[in-house]
Amino acid sequence: MQTALQKAIELILSGDRELANILLVTARTCVSSSLISLLIGVPIGIWLGTGRFRGRQALVVIFRTLMGMPPVVCGLLMYMLFSGVGPFRRFKLLFTVTIMIIAQVVLITPLVIANLETYVSSVADTVRETARGLGFGRWKTLLLLSNECIYPIFSTYLLAFARSIAEVGAVSMVGGAIAWKTNVMTTAIMLYTNRGDFTLGIALGIILIAISLLVNIAVTVMQRRLSR
Amino acid sequence: MKLASCSKTYGRRTVLRCPALDFAPGRICALAGPNGSGKSTYARLAAGVLTPDGGGRVADETGVIRYMPQKSFPFRMSVEDNIRLFGGDEQRAEELMKALGLGGLRRQRARSLSGGETARMSLARVLMQPCDLLILDEPTAAMDMESAIAAEKLVDDYRKECGCAVLLVTHDLSQARRMADEALFFYQGELWESGAAETVLYRPEKEETRRFLEFYGGR
Ligand SMILES: Nc1ncnc2c1ncn2[C@@H]1O[C@H](COP(=O)(O)OP(=O)(O)OP(=O)(O)O)[C@@H](O)[C@H]1O
Ligand SMILES: [Mg+2]
Repeated sequence: MQTALQKAIELILSGDRELANILLVTARTCVSSSLISLLIGVPIGIWLGTGRFRGRQALVVIFRTLMGMPPVVCGLLMYMLFSGVGPFRRFKLLFTVTIMIIAQVVLITPLVIANLETYVSSVADTVRETARGLGFGRWKTLLLLSNECIYPIFSTYLLAFARSIAEVGAVSMVGGAIAWKTNVMTTAIMLYTNRGDFTLGIALGIILIAISLLVNIAVTVMQRRLSR
Repeated sequence: MKLASCSKTYGRRTVLRCPALDFAPGRICALAGPNGSGKSTYARLAAGVLTPDGGGRVADETGVIRYMPQKSFPFRMSVEDNIRLFGGDEQRAEELMKALGLGGLRRQRARSLSGGETARMSLARVLMQPCDLLILDEPTAAMDMESAIAAEKLVDDYRKECGCAVLLVTHDLSQARRMADEALFFYQGELWESGAAETVLYRPEKEETRRFLEFYGGR
């Protein structure tokens, strides 16, 4: 463990080009997929949390179930859709960062939706009652409700980011862990471990957790500032 | 302002059944009754935030209704912004904050207010604009005596200024006696007794109403 920690620090200080590339690809993938999931999932979550239509409960159950979808299954699905025999083969996206981001968006969006829905449905009735009592229509009511969601949106983002940076199944399946191209932290750890280089694997793991810690601190500070 | 007869059923339980009522402009009507007798349910139906059995609306759409729920929501912003939601009149807000002793709390986050302070803010918020029917669901239940009296005066002034009808849900018999011209008494989801305040709140006809009043030492 101590040697792994030393190795991690050495790796960072040495300015290793391959490590830098892995970090860059990881950042591109995680930041894009978590932000896109948030962009898609938040409106759907709010809509689902306030809606009073038939089938609402069924949708909620479906998204809650999809939250638990194993990343490899999601990766496999995307692989089948985009591979040489799949319906989307003409996009030629397999083994690119783009398809990794798409796969993660599919994986993470249900998590964002379900999380937002839980919060929104807990306050929707009182917010609506109060807003309607003051004579506000649908849009102003929706605006007031969205304003209540700032804090949970940040928490949900952290959840999305965590799932994105930690998963290996989807990105390795559709990205192929190609060095200098689609290799991210988690797939790199897998590769080094399979090669028998445990120390390097753990060193990368330590860096991964350090990055996660930094992102969490940054987002939490932002959350506390913006959601007062 | 005329409200149609209505009922509300949850599952198999009908929690409220009420005949058509007419609220005259400029008059205050108190609505009293034990816990669970359907007061808030009626207030919600009248305000149009709850749909009665069979759909539709209880109040006709022509009149403007303003309604303060029993649990009014403090929005995630300052007290002043809560009162002036979407750019309400500054002078009016100032007046109301002063009358309800909210001046010193104007910049405080609304969610950090105490129970009584939240109620004061909610009352100020609902009184910002004129209306035809004002519905208040236990507005002073969380307030101390001084604030409650200030609130009563404010509601009375508001009623005089815009000539609106007021439906005041209250547990406070002395408040009902101070303010109301008419009174309704709900019991187990039924309109048990209604009429002039002097009758319902002092010399009710029904045994249940009398028992309710006796807890306050009144007769
Ligand atoms: N959404 C709901 N689902 C099922 N029952 C409900 C629902 N809302 C209210 N009730 C029931 O309807 C009855 C009347 O409720 P309501 O809130 O109108 O009482 P209230 O007269 O306002 O009482 P309180 O004095 O405690 O405010 C209660 O017994 C309550 O349990
Ligand atoms: Mg009530």
